[in-house]
Amino acid sequence: MLAWAPLVPALPLAAYVLHLIFGRRAGERTALFGIVALALSTLLSLAILVQVAHGAAIDRSVPWLRIGGLQVRMGFAVGPLEAVMLAMVSFISCFIEVYSMGYMHGDRRYNRFFSNVTLFVAAMLTAVIANNLLLFFAAWEVMGLCSYLLIGHWFEDPANCRAATKAFMVTRIGDVGLLLGIWWAFSLTHTFSFAALPGALGAMHLPAATLDAIALLIFLGAVGKSAQVPLQIWLPDAMAGPTPISALIHAATMVAAGVFLVARTYGIFLLAPAALHWVGIVGGISAFIPATIACVQTDIKKVLAYSTISQLGYMMLAMGVGAFEAGIFHLLTHAFFKALLFLAAGSVIHAAGTQNMHEMGGLWRKLRTTGATFVVGTLALAAIPPFSGFWSKDAILRAAWASPDRALYWLGTIAAGLTAYYMTRAVVLTFFGRPRDAHVQEHAHESPAVMLVPLVVLSVPAALLGWVVDRPLRQLLTPHAPAAAAAGVYGFLPLLLSLAGVAVGLALYLGPLARREALLRSPLVRPVYGLCKRLWFFDDLGAVVMYAVGLGPSYVIGAFDRYVVDGVVNGIGWLAMAFGRLWRKLSTGNVQAYMLTMVVALAIGLVALQAMGG
Amino acid sequence: MIAAQGIPLVAFLAVAAVLFCIGLFAALRRANAIMVLMGIELMLNAVNINLVAFSRYSAPADAARGQAFALFVLAVAAAEAAVGLALVIIVSRRRNTIEVDKIDTLRG
Amino acid sequence: MNGPMVAFACLAGLTLYSAWRVATAPQVTHAALFLAATFAGVAGLFFLLQADFLAAVQLLLYAGAVMTVVIFAIMLSEMREVESDARGWRSLLLSPRLGIVPLVGGVGLAAILLSAYHRAAPSWPLSPLPAAPDSTRFIAHALFHAYALPFEVASVLLLAAMIGAIILTRTEGGAKG
Repeated sequence: MLAWAPLVPALPLAAYVLHLIFGRRAGERTALFGIVALALSTLLSLAILVQVAHGAAIDRSVPWLRIGGLQVRMGFAVGPLEAVMLAMVSFISCFIEVYSMGYMHGDRRYNRFFSNVTLFVAAMLTAVIANNLLLFFAAWEVMGLCSYLLIGHWFEDPANCRAATKAFMVTRIGDVGLLLGIWWAFSLTHTFSFAALPGALGAMHLPAATLDAIALLIFLGAVGKSAQVPLQIWLPDAMAGPTPISALIHAATMVAAGVFLVARTYGIFLLAPAALHWVGIVGGISAFIPATIACVQTDIKKVLAYSTISQLGYMMLAMGVGAFEAGIFHLLTHAFFKALLFLAAGSVIHAAGTQNMHEMGGLWRKLRTTGATFVVGTLALAAIPPFSGFWSKDAILRAAWASPDRALYWLGTIAAGLTAYYMTRAVVLTFFGRPRDAHVQEHAHESPAVMLVPLVVLSVPAALLGWVVDRPLRQLLTPHAPAAAAAGVYGFLPLLLSLAGVAVGLALYLGPLARREALLRSPLVRPVYGLCKRLWFFDDLGAVVMYAVGLGPSYVIGAFDRYVVDGVVNGIGWLAMAFGRLWRKLSTGNVQAYMLTMVVALAIGLVALQAMGG
Repeated sequence: MIAAQGIPLVAFLAVAAVLFCIGLFAALRRANAIMVLMGIELMLNAVNINLVAFSRYSAPADAARGQAFALFVLAVAAAEAAVGLALVIIVSRRRNTIEVDKIDTLRG
Repeated sequence: MNGPMVAFACLAGLTLYSAWRVATAPQVTHAALFLAATFAGVAGLFFLLQADFLAAVQLLLYAGAVMTVVIFAIMLSEMREVESDARGWRSLLLSPRLGIVPLVGGVGLAAILLSAYHRAAPSWPLSPLPAAPDSTRFIAHALFHAYALPFEVASVLLLAAMIGAIILTRTEGGAKG
């Protein structure tokens, strides 16, 4: 069965080809290509997961390219990590596509949407199954392209185009780092293989700085793709895409790829402890800052976007403190509950016709199923036991406490409280309280079954997965790891803060508006509020960096081009014109004048010949 | 048969040179396009005299070269006359004049 | 003054006088007749140079065919009597571009050529070499051996000229041919 693993990405890829060929003719039935393929992939990957759980593994490759003495091999590998990822990605993607059938109903580029989603998932599955960095990078880039196409799906609005371009360009910064890292490692070891690289690099006795640099370059790719500080700025803008795409990017594919990359090359990071520490620091900061920003967002999707960055920060933090399996655990649970949250939010948007939470309120009565699933997702994200988020986040923070750098623990713990607060705020603003906009309230209606079924299905793992797979997953990924150290009272602190966050959120947002306004006016809160509202100035910083690094030199070059190069070119043109104006006087159009000119020239030639000969 | 015994080469060349210059004079001063073409024919004839004269006054191996060349000049001249005069006719039809002063569409 | 000398002088005189009249005759038709005379004079010179074949071709082609074409052109362009020397002596002297300039050009070029000949003449042969007895066979041999390719090219040129002349002069619409 394991040998059939390449079929998992191959099926959606084949579906993509079918989309291209028959999509236009099939109308809205076109969605079935991708859904059937992904359903088969899901079944296959679940079967693979079962086999892997019983200890099977595979790593096959064939010679692909021979350059001089160098041989590049191409192939696939499935171990515990890959099997888990395969099952998660294909399962979630399948339900996202089912949901999209309802959400995208009547869209004018329906087929384009589904074909791109299918290709996107195929690329992600390829990246997961690849056993070498080269194939991985190719799939990674296809994902970048698909994210660009899908974020800009409604390209009639220039803002969406800008968001798509921003996502593409910002992740491109990371991709350059990744590419440099890959080539550096390859030039040293002459292999792209995930399995062979750490051993080969370790055997070379390289200076620590080299190993750190390689690891950090690879990590730069992950930072871009997983939207970590400071390259997180693309992800909130990526909300411009259709909501199922947000779910796909935030849960199963795009951002998960970055974390997966770190997990897949974890052997290299283990060789470079300093780089690994930086992974943890970036993760911790990325967990904290976006959590504060999420507290002041009014757009329901933006809240979820910042929470995604924050949760990815947790995963990176886990990697950084050596809790590799906890990071993957959180990746897994997060994928389910974040997909659920986004799909539920999509359902809300579908019903309310707005994304602004201040225009919603009191939607619970109209959207009971959506509301219930959204609450499940919220509890999971807020890490309230027994919902899934609690288990994974708990594992991460325990490991952080056990690590030498306890600042990471504090960052993560405070962020956990903030997470509970802003999610409670979102739920209350959206579903409870008095309706604030009569038109929205009137317009609201529950979504069709094709959208609700995926919500219900996804809410089951979002609620239970953590409790069920906690121990088995740890055994599968790191069979010989020692049990996490007991953290005493600090092990319960995150939970306490989460509960406190929920309580504060309920108290503030179920209470009267005047209380919140009074709080905002207090001198303690105002500057913090301003800072968060301004996104901690990251976008401004990005703009400044862009101007300084990109636009500044380009202005200089532009001026050089405009005045010096164009000056020379135009000058030559002007010179030619001036000569032309002069010479055209000689072109009288009279044949006899031309003849005379020839005679004079002939006479001069003859005289000159005589003078020379004589 | 009359042969050119006792006539120096330079005599033929001088006649050819004068003929050439008369042809040039005609081509330059005449207003009528047909007359300009006639002047050019005179110049070509002068060239032919030169060619034939040289062929007769140089080694026999080269004699054929001059005459063959003169023949080609004749052919080209015939072609030139045909096309040139055809052009003159068409110009006279289109513009109702064949005065070269007035045919100056190509003036810069 | 021997026989050939006299013949040469007569032919040269005929040629140059006719040519001069071509350049100066007020009427185009007169000029055309003098052109025919010039061609005949040149043919005579060829004959004197024992180039009998060329002399014959000269008579046939120039005095015959080209002259016919010229006369036709004069008639078809319907300018037979119109062209009188519009410029006259006054404009010949005063016109800046065409007045005195052609004369100066022609005479000047002749002076340059003749002075060059005058200087080079002492080293040039005074009498022609014995000619081949049969110049026609002689030329034919040259044309079909050494100059076969130029000969063919010339034939293509003539064909092209013929077609070109026909197409150019065809009346638009083709009705009148």
